[in-house]
Amino acid sequence: MSTLLFIIFAGMAIGCAIAMVSQSNPLYSAISLIGVFISLASIYVTLAAPFIAAVQVIVYAGAIMVLVIFVIMLLNVEHSEPRRKRLKFLVPMAIGMAAVLLAETVFILHSVQMTENHPAANISDVGLTHSIGVGLFTRYLLPFEITSVLLLMAIVGAMSLARRTTILSATARVVPGSQVLAMDIVNPGGVEDLRMVETETTEEAAHLLGVDFQSDRSDQE
Amino acid sequence: MGPQLSWYLALSAVLFTIGAVGVIVKRNVIAMFMCIELMLNAVNLSFVAFSSFFQDVTGQLFVFIVMTVAAAEAAVGLGIIITIFRNRESLDVDDANILKL
Repeated sequence: MSTLLFIIFAGMAIGCAIAMVSQSNPLYSAISLIGVFISLASIYVTLAAPFIAAVQVIVYAGAIMVLVIFVIMLLNVEHSEPRRKRLKFLVPMAIGMAAVLLAETVFILHSVQMTENHPAANISDVGLTHSIGVGLFTRYLLPFEITSVLLLMAIVGAMSLARRTTILSATARVVPGSQVLAMDIVNPGGVEDLRMVETETTEEAAHLLGVDFQSDRSDQE
Repeated sequence: MGPQLSWYLALSAVLFTIGAVGVIVKRNVIAMFMCIELMLNAVNLSFVAFSSFFQDVTGQLFVFIVMTVAAAEAAVGLGIIITIFRNRESLDVDDANILKL
């Protein structure tokens, strides 16, 4: 039984990893990577490490991959290749997976009723939260503290990296229709070029920025 | 007879190799980043396998620390990616060929 589980989850992990590398769209490879994480978490459960399995799902598949997908969608890199129709196979696939899920539920309900209620023979407490916590706060306290300092450094580093460096001058005015722009917004080649560019109207600012702007004020008049 | 320790180590090696190939082959910096995460996970798998087969909790403690390092790496790495994209309008690693941002 455990051999069968290992083969299933190892196959899932390898298949998802190959799919991740072969995808060209980073969003699809992120979803394949989540598949790898889930199957590895299942392997951790079969290895009697439930705490690590839970942390794998919560931290990796939850926090880190949400961050990665957030950045992918924030940057929104356009691919030049034409978008293919891919909605056709999704509906039969969804029906098949729903059928699998239903069969699983029925199986679990059935097997819970069939088996007698007796506690499993737990031969060791390795992998349980208690033993990990005891180890983390006694013998390996120094690595634990170093890790927390590392997390603090990561917070500071991420903030200083992602901060916007463009600061307008103190004389920048906010007048309706009048825009004061920094030079490096208008001209992306000049990095950190903070000279002011003043425009009189919104149309002029839109033209400078290369944005298609239609004034709807003239329509109302 | 359940799975042997060598099976887990083989799976770990295969996943690590796929991640390393991805780092080499990929040109998108976010895809490379995800391949590095895959390599970290392959190492985690061998840690947990050793910990489980030798009945020693130390391996799982280090998996915990590796996960923390991966989270810190994700925060800083994605900040660097956003800064590179803001300055170069591209996620191609070949476009980021000088150390200056």
